[in-house]
Amino acid sequence: MNDRPSSWKRTAADIFAVLARWLLGAVFLYLGLNKALHPVEFLKMVRQYDIVQSSLLLNSIAAALPWFEIFCGLLLLAGVVVRGTAVMLIVMLVPFTVLVFRRALAIQSAQHIPFCAIKFDCGCGTGEVFICRKLLENFLLIVFSVWLLAGYGRKFCFRYSLLSGDAQNQPD
Amino acid sequence: MAVIGAAFAFGANLVSPRGLALTRNYFPAGVSRPVPAAPGVGSPRDVASTNLPASSPAELLAVRLKEQGLQSVDGRQAEQLFHDPRFQQGGVAFIDARDEQHYREGHIPGACEFDPYYPEKYFPTVLPVCQAAEQIVVYCNGGDCDDSESAAILLRDVGIANRKLFVYTGGIPEWITNGLPVEIGGRNSGNLRGTSK
Repeated sequence: MNDRPSSWKRTAADIFAVLARWLLGAVFLYLGLNKALHPVEFLKMVRQYDIVQSSLLLNSIAAALPWFEIFCGLLLLAGVVVRGTAVMLIVMLVPFTVLVFRRALAIQSAQHIPFCAIKFDCGCGTGEVFICRKLLENFLLIVFSVWLLAGYGRKFCFRYSLLSGDAQNQPD
Repeated sequence: MAVIGAAFAFGANLVSPRGLALTRNYFPAGVSRPVPAAPGVGSPRDVASTNLPASSPAELLAVRLKEQGLQSVDGRQAEQLFHDPRFQQGGVAFIDARDEQHYREGHIPGACEFDPYYPEKYFPTVLPVCQAAEQIVVYCNGGDCDDSESAAILLRDVGIANRKLFVYTGGIPEWITNGLPVEIGGRNSGNLRGTSK
């Protein structure tokens, strides 16, 4: 029995982290499905960022990314390879956020309006959103991902870590 | 894990009925695209405006069309072609380059549906119409929409004479703003709306 305050805090944090994991999983599943069901719309959105000049590369990004998000969402919901998935989310979210930010700056310089008044469809699967709200959402998603990467949210997992077989990384 | 995820993603795209063909160039006019400069990009109001700002979506489209060797028509010319007696006899054809949902929600009466992202689905119905026509007006959502441009290039690539192809730069938003009729549902459904002219 362990009723020390630090232990309770850890337990509370872990429960909250599980909720964050499920939320993160559900968000990515939803966003991925939105894009996968409308691949042409997503293709047009990716094109707007003007990041690739090759149609093969553009098509590959637009074809694979939505399903990859669905994959990550399912893994998080099930609690499989959570830390690996968290790494993948961070690797996706950080550049996406930079791209969205850069595009918003370009729109701002073209339209001469306050930054937070910029509203556009970033291709994130949520339709038109205000840029400041989108950046805040992405920041929270990154924070949740880092939290999972730090080792929280392992309750109710099928398998928390793919490679580690030690007790520390097994589901509670 | 990334490799497994990538394999899952490409596999799912492959089996999905809506999946993208990786090797197809969906943007024959060019993959690269500038950031739209005008506020409310592509909205009917902007397109219909007679005081278009510099480098507006319509102006950018006009420049791109010229680069592609395509001709354009404005709202007045499109309306004239619509009222041209040859339209009823198939001498003038209107091609709607939007997706099926938007087409069914309202298109220029008698226009053929031709989504340039799934051309093989529409070629059997669109090509005979285009071959019979002397003038073909291709349109989409106006503004920064370049699907009409892609559709015109696709038609040209399969042998439709370039001189017959015209892109209606204002598109359906301008058509509606001008009070011209739209047809709901399928082609020649007879279900017309907005017949103020």
